[in-house]
Amino acid sequence: MNVVTAIVRRILSILVTLLGVSVIIFVILRLLPGNAVSASMGVSEGLLSKAQVAALDQYYGIGRPVLEQYFSWLHALLNGNLGVSLSQQKSVSYLVGLDLPVTLELAFFSMVLGILIGVGFGMWSALHPGRWQDNIGQVVAVVGLAIPAFVLGQSLVVYMSTKFHYFPSSLTFVGFFSNPWLNFQQIIFPSIVLSLGIGAAILRTTRGAVLEVSGLNFARTALGKGVSRRAFVWRHLFLNSLTAVVTMSGIQLGYLLGGTVIIERIFVLPGMGNLLITAIKNQDYPLVQSATLVFAAGFVVVNMFVDLAYSLIDPRTRKRSA
Amino acid sequence: MKPIIGLRGLASAALVMSTVGIFSSSVLDAASASASTGSRVANSTLVIGTVNSVQKIDPDVVTNFLDFEALGLIYNTLVQENSKLQIVPDLATSWSFANGNRQLTMQLRQGVKFDDGSTMTSADVVASLERAIATKTADPSASYLGSVTKISASGPNAVVLTMSHPDVSVLEGLATVNLGIMPAAAIKAGTIATKPDGTGPFEFSKWVPSTSFTLTANPNYWGGKVSLNSVQLKTIPTEQSISAALQAGTIQMALLSQPTVVSTIPQSYPVQHVMDLSYRALQLQDKVGILANVNARRAIACATDRNQILQDSVFGDGKVVGPVPLGPYATNPVSSICPTPNLGQARKYLAASGHPSGFTFTAITSTDLDSTSAAQAIAMQSQLARVGIKMNIQNLAANAYIQDWLKGKFQAAFAENGASPSPYVMYGRYFGKGAGLAIPAGYSSKSLQQELLAGDVTSSAAGQAAAWKKLNNDLTGNAVWIWLFDSYDFAVMSPSVHGFTLSPVNTTQLSSLATTTLK
Repeated sequence: MNVVTAIVRRILSILVTLLGVSVIIFVILRLLPGNAVSASMGVSEGLLSKAQVAALDQYYGIGRPVLEQYFSWLHALLNGNLGVSLSQQKSVSYLVGLDLPVTLELAFFSMVLGILIGVGFGMWSALHPGRWQDNIGQVVAVVGLAIPAFVLGQSLVVYMSTKFHYFPSSLTFVGFFSNPWLNFQQIIFPSIVLSLGIGAAILRTTRGAVLEVSGLNFARTALGKGVSRRAFVWRHLFLNSLTAVVTMSGIQLGYLLGGTVIIERIFVLPGMGNLLITAIKNQDYPLVQSATLVFAAGFVVVNMFVDLAYSLIDPRTRKRSA
Repeated sequence: MKPIIGLRGLASAALVMSTVGIFSSSVLDAASASASTGSRVANSTLVIGTVNSVQKIDPDVVTNFLDFEALGLIYNTLVQENSKLQIVPDLATSWSFANGNRQLTMQLRQGVKFDDGSTMTSADVVASLERAIATKTADPSASYLGSVTKISASGPNAVVLTMSHPDVSVLEGLATVNLGIMPAAAIKAGTIATKPDGTGPFEFSKWVPSTSFTLTANPNYWGGKVSLNSVQLKTIPTEQSISAALQAGTIQMALLSQPTVVSTIPQSYPVQHVMDLSYRALQLQDKVGILANVNARRAIACATDRNQILQDSVFGDGKVVGPVPLGPYATNPVSSICPTPNLGQARKYLAASGHPSGFTFTAITSTDLDSTSAAQAIAMQSQLARVGIKMNIQNLAANAYIQDWLKGKFQAAFAENGASPSPYVMYGRYFGKGAGLAIPAGYSSKSLQQELLAGDVTSSAAGQAAAWKKLNNDLTGNAVWIWLFDSYDFAVMSPSVHGFTLSPVNTTQLSSLATTTLK
């Protein structure tokens, strides 16, 4: 199978996945009780006359046949139009464009910190199995996995604001290019909170993979041939463990794109998580559908890059593909 | 046994920890100073933290409290409710009823300018009210003008509302932001839904959906100079984070509803609390099943300890109330049959109902809509169990609750309903003739309709007081619903905020920002 065929097959599988996601989101939303009118008006809907409710139904596009609604949305998507938010009366592209960069930046920083923590402590633990360094690594992993991010996040916010009168992310969010220092202060703390859970998962994977590789014949041979410790650790152990680490990092990044919701709320970051929660509350179908699809697209694209990374870091994968 | 960490390890860990501690303290202090500088730059703006976000900017269609509060700073109404819940002038300076309370003539304030620079005239008022009652607008407060058959100008500075029947409560209805006054030209141009244009103390500046809503002072405000340059309503999704932002100095005022959060804020931050214009009640569907039996309902009323529910759900930060929680016609005592719990009386009512050992019913709650509703339900469940009444609790998501509530698909529902100083405005929609919310109300009677009408047609204070007393007795005597309590709303401020008074009127709680200063 040549490279072009492989890429075409991959893109087709992504499109089929996204089509499936679009159907699932669409159906689930229609199964929920109520609609955009009831979400928007609340119990006040009962005060409207039948004619008023009919006028609102028409305004929100409710009452059109379900299939017509789906294909109309799909048609718009294929034309690059994510639709218009029912509750906010702004284009979904505009709203996603406002909030997606915040979530991406948060995910990026969290991931970088998570990889540093995970790989660093994982390697440290694996190179000193059963010793105090390993125990510290295990404690970090257990703490990272056991303490929920929202508990850590809320505690950090309360501590910083009461002790230092410091809560930079509650100021209006600024982009990296308009004020890098303030942007750094706004992103770094939520990133630290998120990175602990990610780091813990990567730590355990790294430790396990390195321990496994260090027991293989080639590793013992390399040591016996007198390879320097640095070369042994990084070239022989780390590179041969990298596939497992990349797999775990990819999974964590995929989840991270949709998993920042609570941390965004605690740290007052105007990201996609917040946007999605508000949209769900308002039963804002176009916004929920399109925003979820953006998350799904992010997830499958990340997975695609992870697969591509395999062939870069492991020659055996390239051979199998060929 | 070999220690897990040796001495060298412990020393290294201690060194790392102390270095991190010193570094983080100094960095945080420096960063705090730098972030505070950022907030000082923006100090001409009063930033208010709230868990809600502005959803819509067309005053005729808003339904959530924050939308009312935000747009209430941009738009004026013909009349308004003051802090004592009395109707006082706003854009109308005086008014009079005529033709047996079938005609209301209002004199308009002169020299009032809209944000677009045009001067307000009676044509704008007529256009605004006609827009509100137009079917396609779908204004939820159009029902307040249900009796109005004609809205006309009487010269440039007066309007006349002609009603099909005597209706003095129309005046209270005119105080809602849903009936705010806007320029006729903007209505014609169709720009109201995207660019607010009113006569209030602030002008619309910027709206970032789900994030913030910013207003600037209106230089032409008819009520005098506004001290604040601008006001920003900032959405902070959790009350704990609002408290943190206040203490960090990034916001100057916090709108809170959870007493537990308010209690964690240092005393140097002034706190204002006010009973808001709403009430919690257990609504009953009185037409079918066991609750159609008036004595069964009375047994529930007598077994209920409202004070305990108030304690358990909002830590006592509120007041036990009857059907009319505030204002000149507030219900007193809160129940005509059992103002305090009376288990003996409850058992007598049970016996009279034919179910001396009790009965079972189900109540719905929605913690999405009222976070205290589950606590109310659990407290009441244990109280009713003392006389053998078993109350099952079903918690629903917001939209599921709303759907069931609107269709009357419940036996009992814990609800937080908006209130008004006018009993007619509050209960005409539930129990009046042709009431829009008759289905969720779950009860109807000719006597209630007559009592509501009697209070609405008379403009004499004594006549109204008598009618509303009768209504209160009828509602509580028949245990139509079980009214529980009214809770506080809180505003916590930085010491730099002066002159702000939290209004009890939910929809215009922030109206005193027109005279607030920031030092």
